[in-house]
Amino acid sequence: MNRFCLNRLLVLLSFLLVAVPGHGQAAASKTYELKFATLAPAGTTWVNLLEEWADNVKQQSNGRLVFKIYPGGVQGDEPDVLKKIRFGQLHGGAFTGYGIGRIFSPARVLELPFLFENINEIDYVREQLMPGIEQGYRDNGYEMLGWMEVGYVYFFSKEPIRSLADLNSARLWYWQGDPLGKAFFDASGLSPVPLSIIDVYTSLSTGMIDTVYAPPLGALALQWFSRTKYITNVPMANGIGSLVVSRRFFQGLPQDLQLLLKRTGRETGEKLVAATRHDNKEGLTVLQEHGLVLVEGDADLVGDEIKAISDKAGRTLVDNGYIPAALIERVRELIRQYRSTDETIKQNADG
Amino acid sequence: MRPRTDQQQFTTRKAVALPGLLLVVTLLSACSMGQVVVRSSAAILDSGIDAMNRETDLRLARDAMPANIKLLEGMLIEDPGNTELRLYAAQGFYGYSYGFIEGEDRARAAHLYRRCYSHALKALAQSGMQLDPEHTSAEQLDAAIGRLDRGAVPALFWTASCLGKWIDLNRDNVRSIAGVSNAATLMQGVLDLDETYYHGGAHMFFGVFYGGRAPMLGGDFARAEKHFRRAAQINEQKLLLVDLLKAEYMYRQQLDRTAFHDTLVKIQSAPDDLYPEMALVNAIARQKAAELLTHEGDWF
Repeated sequence: MNRFCLNRLLVLLSFLLVAVPGHGQAAASKTYELKFATLAPAGTTWVNLLEEWADNVKQQSNGRLVFKIYPGGVQGDEPDVLKKIRFGQLHGGAFTGYGIGRIFSPARVLELPFLFENINEIDYVREQLMPGIEQGYRDNGYEMLGWMEVGYVYFFSKEPIRSLADLNSARLWYWQGDPLGKAFFDASGLSPVPLSIIDVYTSLSTGMIDTVYAPPLGALALQWFSRTKYITNVPMANGIGSLVVSRRFFQGLPQDLQLLLKRTGRETGEKLVAATRHDNKEGLTVLQEHGLVLVEGDADLVGDEIKAISDKAGRTLVDNGYIPAALIERVRELIRQYRSTDETIKQNADG
Repeated sequence: MRPRTDQQQFTTRKAVALPGLLLVVTLLSACSMGQVVVRSSAAILDSGIDAMNRETDLRLARDAMPANIKLLEGMLIEDPGNTELRLYAAQGFYGYSYGFIEGEDRARAAHLYRRCYSHALKALAQSGMQLDPEHTSAEQLDAAIGRLDRGAVPALFWTASCLGKWIDLNRDNVRSIAGVSNAATLMQGVLDLDETYYHGGAHMFFGVFYGGRAPMLGGDFARAEKHFRRAAQINEQKLLLVDLLKAEYMYRQQLDRTAFHDTLVKIQSAPDDLYPEMALVNAIARQKAAELLTHEGDWF
């Protein structure tokens, strides 16, 4: 090695000796801003919990990772937010099944109408499916930070809905552009009125529709309850939700911040699920206090007939590639497992 | 913060004070001494409210309001059926909470709005509507409001306003959320009976109602814009509150940073003598504009 090369090598080594720790320090002190959007309005339980999450992350990262939360749909509805995430204008958000269907539609198997009989079944099945769902999000450019729910969805109507025949004679709304809702109503032979969610309240007022579906909290927040009189006491599906960030943002974080975000995101999701379940339960009571009448479903709304319709809807979703057949079959198997076998599992799930 | 439109019913105290004295003998036979004293001091009270509305020193107003509110509540103990006093008390609580408390202690502000609501609701009952709007179906409420006349407008307005603010500060409470549509139904009654009441206050309410929510959640920016425009027209663009609410709720919801910023800066630079009769509300609006501007970086 000649003198010139030796000098260059020494310069390079000295550069590395200085630069590498320097780089480490830079990464450790760099501040990351996570722009996060949600439809939930400021001041609601949901946003309060998201803000608490943001505060915890800021504190535990010593200010290296900070949230900028956009509540109340100021960044648009869920498809808008996803678009902004793709363009890098936002990094993450809280999504309902509607948005999740655009991230990784198979996750919506957990929303199939009339598939589950109670919340414990849902929790059990979800736990088994979660690794696959997380991987599905990842494969589609998102990292799931936490799971949440919007809760059990009920029919709200101006006339009592007790049976499929009642549904058939109702002017029923269906969320335009939602493949899951469409598959279910097609399978039922019903002809709902497709409307954007924006038009539902007005359409209830004008009489264009007289029956809608929503979780109690949704019916309250959207004030749909004020234009209906009855709630059918048959939970048709459990609306899902997720806290997600783009993989691009997530992978750009140092590992310690990735771990922090995942851990605190999961904890926040658990708090959100608990709060949503509590609020929906209270919401059902409040709705009745406001004069809405809870009506029970006849056999065809709770028995084999509705389950056959649910199966048919599942097949449609398989046919159009929305949910894989194998996944639906796995869910059915898990449900069978939960129902038939072990008391032990049930006891664990009941906690 | 007393209404100033010429159609309102309960702000004509000065005009009726003299004829009222002529009835004093009759009144003495039907009223307690306390009631007579309360009723005879109403003209002074009216002037006191005028003076408060014209106040430009926010600190002075803040310090003075609690004593005035307590005086009103004391007078109400003597004369509980006095609708005008009820409405003054409701306004007092609303103004004090909105102007001075909401920005620093939301829980206390919510509590004060609840007291505001309690007074307004009693005034509404005395004006002919006995229903409890928080536990009434939309249909029943609609029907009850349909039976009211213009005389009930002040009570309707303050009941809806106080309820609306209380709900706004309790969005994490399922029970409060349920009251939104009924607050709107009450305010719709004001719009139908006298849209000019309190400088177009019902239009400001609906500007916030439609402008402060995403369309997906019931918002409607075109309708909000229309209501804000009409409110500004009614008060001849002299009440800075209209633009303040538009920036705080609608521009923030629309994520329109430029409009938010420019509007609030404009409010801050509005002349002090823009509306001398409502100088206090405009001073509060200027103070709130400055406070909102400190959040610009967080919200946009």
